[in-house]
Amino acid sequence: MKFKYMLSATAMTMAVVSGAFAEDSSDPIIIPIHNWSSQIVMSHVVGQIFENMGNNVEFVTTDSQAVYESVRLGDVSLEVEVWEGAFGASFNAAKEKGGIHAASEHSAVTREDWWYPLWTKEACPGLPSWEALNACAAVFATPETGDKGRFLGGPVDWLKHDQERVDALGMNFTVVNAGSAAALWAEIGAAEKNKRPIVLFNWTPNFAEAVWEGEFVEFPTWVASCNEDPSVGPNPNATYDCGNPADGYLKIAAWDGMKEKWPDAYNTLTQISFTNPQIAQMAKFVDVDEMEPEDAATAWLDANKNIWENWTK
Amino acid sequence: MAIVETRLTGKIGSLTRLQITQFLFGLAIIFAIIKPLLPEFLVRIPVEMILPYDIWLQTLFDFIKDDLGLLTVTRGISSVLEWFLDITANLLYGKRRWPNIGPVPWVAIAVVAAVIGFWLKGWKMALLAGGTFVWVALIGQWKLAMQTMSVIAVAAPMAFLIGLLLGICAWKYPRFQRAIMPVLSILQTLPFFTYLLPAVIFFKVGPTAGCIATIIYAIPPMVLMTTLGLKKVSHEVVEAGHMSGSTRWQMLRYVYLPAARTEILVGVNQVIMLCLAMVVLTAFIGMPGLGAKLLSLMNSLKLGRSFEIGITIVLIAVTLDRLSKAWVVKQPEHFERGTSWFVRHKLLIIGIIAFIVSIILAQFVQVADHITRKQDLSMGKDIDNVIRAILANDIITGVTDWLRWFLITWVLIPFRNALLWLPTGSVILAMAAFGYFVGGRKSALLVVIFFGVIALTGWWDRSMITLYAVISAVILATLIGIPLGIAAARNPKWSEPILLVCDTAQTFPSFIYLIPAIMLFSVNDVAVVFAILIFATVPLMRYTIEGIRAVPSELLEAADMAGATRNQKLLKVQLPLALPTMAVGFNQAIMFAFFMVIIAAFIGTQDLGQELQKTLAGNNLGKNFVLGMCVSLMALAFNHIIMRWSNDRRKALGVG
Amino acid sequence: MNDINPVISCKSVWKLFGGNAEKYLASMKKGQSFEQIRQAGYIAAVRDVSLDIARGEMLVIMGLSGSGKSTLVRCLSRLIDITGGEVKVDGQDIMDLNERELIDLRRKKMGMVFQSFGLLPHRTVLENVAFPLEMRGQDRHDRRERAMEVIKLVGLEGREEYFPRELSGGQQQRVGIARSLAIEPDIWFLDEPFSALDPLIRREMQDEFLRLQEILGKTIVFITHDFDEALRLADRIAIMKDGAVEQCDTPDKIVLNPATEYVAKFTEEIEKSRVIHAEVLTKPINGYKLEGASISADATILQLSRQLIGDNRDILPVTNKDGVLIGGMNRQEALNVLLGEN
Repeated sequence: MKFKYMLSATAMTMAVVSGAFAEDSSDPIIIPIHNWSSQIVMSHVVGQIFENMGNNVEFVTTDSQAVYESVRLGDVSLEVEVWEGAFGASFNAAKEKGGIHAASEHSAVTREDWWYPLWTKEACPGLPSWEALNACAAVFATPETGDKGRFLGGPVDWLKHDQERVDALGMNFTVVNAGSAAALWAEIGAAEKNKRPIVLFNWTPNFAEAVWEGEFVEFPTWVASCNEDPSVGPNPNATYDCGNPADGYLKIAAWDGMKEKWPDAYNTLTQISFTNPQIAQMAKFVDVDEMEPEDAATAWLDANKNIWENWTK
Repeated sequence: MAIVETRLTGKIGSLTRLQITQFLFGLAIIFAIIKPLLPEFLVRIPVEMILPYDIWLQTLFDFIKDDLGLLTVTRGISSVLEWFLDITANLLYGKRRWPNIGPVPWVAIAVVAAVIGFWLKGWKMALLAGGTFVWVALIGQWKLAMQTMSVIAVAAPMAFLIGLLLGICAWKYPRFQRAIMPVLSILQTLPFFTYLLPAVIFFKVGPTAGCIATIIYAIPPMVLMTTLGLKKVSHEVVEAGHMSGSTRWQMLRYVYLPAARTEILVGVNQVIMLCLAMVVLTAFIGMPGLGAKLLSLMNSLKLGRSFEIGITIVLIAVTLDRLSKAWVVKQPEHFERGTSWFVRHKLLIIGIIAFIVSIILAQFVQVADHITRKQDLSMGKDIDNVIRAILANDIITGVTDWLRWFLITWVLIPFRNALLWLPTGSVILAMAAFGYFVGGRKSALLVVIFFGVIALTGWWDRSMITLYAVISAVILATLIGIPLGIAAARNPKWSEPILLVCDTAQTFPSFIYLIPAIMLFSVNDVAVVFAILIFATVPLMRYTIEGIRAVPSELLEAADMAGATRNQKLLKVQLPLALPTMAVGFNQAIMFAFFMVIIAAFIGTQDLGQELQKTLAGNNLGKNFVLGMCVSLMALAFNHIIMRWSNDRRKALGVG
Repeated sequence: MNDINPVISCKSVWKLFGGNAEKYLASMKKGQSFEQIRQAGYIAAVRDVSLDIARGEMLVIMGLSGSGKSTLVRCLSRLIDITGGEVKVDGQDIMDLNERELIDLRRKKMGMVFQSFGLLPHRTVLENVAFPLEMRGQDRHDRRERAMEVIKLVGLEGREEYFPRELSGGQQQRVGIARSLAIEPDIWFLDEPFSALDPLIRREMQDEFLRLQEILGKTIVFITHDFDEALRLADRIAIMKDGAVEQCDTPDKIVLNPATEYVAKFTEEIEKSRVIHAEVLTKPINGYKLEGASISADATILQLSRQLIGDNRDILPVTNKDGVLIGGMNRQEALNVLLGEN
């Protein structure tokens, strides 16, 4: 371990010495993009910052789970949005194998939980408390759920344990799993017209909050061992009897080799940190104002010079 | 007719075929009735009997991949492929790779497309080909479209070459043909997720993997068409070649291949269409381009712009389809002796000049070079509002709400529960009875093996849910598609536009239907069935129209002279004769349904598709493959039975 | 018929279709009929055929469809390998040739014309005709020149840049003929070359063919199912049934003395006087003194009809084309032929 550290330290010194002023490699920095807007725009924002610094940048489209393996191997150089809830597991697994690390943490916090658009409150005024939600379960009933309320969860493989929570809290709801994020949005879109009450899985930051106002359902507050220890939480005999953490992290991951290959760019990367409103703004450019991601990134950078120019110094 | 009857009465042992069918079916019913008394393995294969195929396969894959070093080979292939992809990427959308001369301005490509269109089929085709590229540029999707095209430009020729070589081998060596045919059938029915994962694992995420998956997906029809074409070369032409003293190579190069030109070009057409269909789907494994954009637009619920991308894909598909079909029928034209080279190659020269002029033009006029976001004519927002207004229309929502309630409560859920309740043995016996009735002992055995394997994999319940969605959708599609098809076939004025609608509906990227389906019916089985329904109705309508229109006119005249009314003519003459063709449509409807039901996993299902979708994020090839095979085996069982019936029927009627 | 060594000579040629045909043939008893062989599971397409074809001769093989005539001609060119017997071309057993030698033989000595023309659809007339030359590697200029020559010969000048589909059936077959002649073959196989054509065109093409044969004087094996055509063209006719040759003789003799009932059935409907020449009815006169004007040996009985009826001599003197007396013809016998009384 120590030897390895020394090696990399030497390598770093060498890099610094040989480059005299630590020049970045001219190989392109490869930034992965996925299929949701905030990530795409943020990737372009970071990319354009690098380009401003004189680096070559290239974007590749990749799967959002498989990307950590690619970062680890150096096939791509970094990942700008590591969500605790969605990608924490993949990120940690890759980190354990080595080759990837967290270069920075955004000030933004993430939250993933049951959510409803604001019009739902008219039909169920007691919201956002979960007991109130449970009391008006009938409002959410559909043909396939009978007289139980219908909760639309995310795809099963997101492993959100909604069914366990329904059981643990004795809620009068049936969990129906959507097959994709798009399916969730389509449901909100369909409900919007007649202001049909609906409760479904959602997260922040994403574009939805800019399009539809809404709130998260307040479940019993999350405590560390709630999901493992039955005695924790309101139901003494069940796990998963509380909400999801309300302030998950959002990190930037980087390939270990990055700091040697592009020391300047890496140095900047470690300082990058966005807030929730900033991220929402990026997403809004694309999702509401219909800009192309590249243009949205340029627009954001133009409007926020004071923020990012410090990072490049 | 005679053949069918003798078949039915043909004795096997002392029992007729009908009796055996009835016996098998009766047994199936008895199994269902006495379910509580049945031994466990007839209800569901017990867990301990389910062998871990996925783990074995995974071990096998790992062995091939790591120990046999296939991974190095495939990574080698992928670097070669990447080199080609980089060239087309540079030329078409200016990716910074060798030869670093791109991107070619859009005007130049549009002009060249128009000239090619003119050469192949005159002004109309020129307008279509040129117009498509103008549309793509003006709507602001140039770069995306070129990202997609850059992959097709590599994948289609590769699929063509590989398919051609395999086709020649299959034609030359019957043994090789016997070996490759089942593989091709499986490839054609395997869900596309099963193409994607191995591609990613063996060929790296991104365009290379997408390109490989696309190539593999497009190869089967090329092989089949090549073999078919070579077999069809008239024996006199072959003998003429021999008598001219051709060596083997000369025979192939100068006689067989040119004489099989038509079939080979039809194969090319299919290769192009399949490439286009698949390349959009490879967005799921990180292929940039139209598909990826479509996915991200759908993820932010931008229906209008998704729709525009759909239009772009349809236009490109129609253009490529028509161009390649025009190429199929394009015959060489002769010039009188002594015509100068310039006149002979007039269009080539015009094309080159137009290309150069537009490149020069693009240097000075920015709009001719590329169109920026603010200049394009996208009307995403407006289309969005229109679509939303339609989907949220009170009458429509009223109907869909009722349909949703009715179908869920009275049709789908009971049917689904019944299928899940039925003992495995019962389902297999019923399928065997079905197979026996149509194709005799061999078919029954085949069906039993196919479904038996599914039962043994342990994915029976998921397979039944998949089957339930497919059957429900296909039945509904039959109820809608066949009457519509008959109506359209009786009025020639209607059949052309309806066939055009069919074409368009089919070339629309399949997952674009998912969002409207959800908005109409929300996330549930009705939306799933609806999405499949759209796809499955198309072939039913098309083949009904074609089947009825193909009835020889003498027969209709004979019926007229016999004093048949329109309805009598339809029921007694047209439909019976069109039935074998309609069965082909029915078969295709089922194949399409199996394809779409997997995509419908994005709506939210509990079937094989959902499991397959889950495997996509990991690297569990074994499970991915087992799931894929379950889908494929079910599809093949239906395919076998229906095609068998259709062929027997055709023979009995003495047509085809 | 002036060469002692036949160009093509086949000795008890057999062609059986079916698995392990050689073995079956070797163990087969002599004199098995077509039916008996079929019961053993084999189709006897060619059954024990022995024929000699002399240089410059035109042999017409006649038979109904399925009689094995097409198979026989393919055995002669080894498009099909025979099951038993031997086929010699210019004294060389063609079954002994390897692939290279066989290709060479075809490139130098054989030409073939097909019923449905067998033209390569993607090549122009010129390229089709030049095809055999191209195959043997002749240079572009030479083969163009030669192809033009044959195209001219068959009367297609000016159409050389056309594609087959742009031509009528008759014209297409002219292309087929030109192609088969391009390499100046010694042996010319024609497999029902005119069957696919309209009757009028067929007649025209037969005349054309006779004209070509006049110029070229090739050894010809001509296949047809049309007895009239056979009579019109042949030096000798071989009539086939169930793979075997029923009779092989000159047209006159076939018409006059059909060897089997099967052959007789063909000749029944034929107006014999059109076919039979005076020569055939001519008998040596053994010193018998003949008087008056003589008739030509080449004339058909029909051509002589007026004379036969008008004359009152019993025996008419017959002279060949050099004016030499070769014998006498019994007038009554000739009248019988004319009136169809046999």
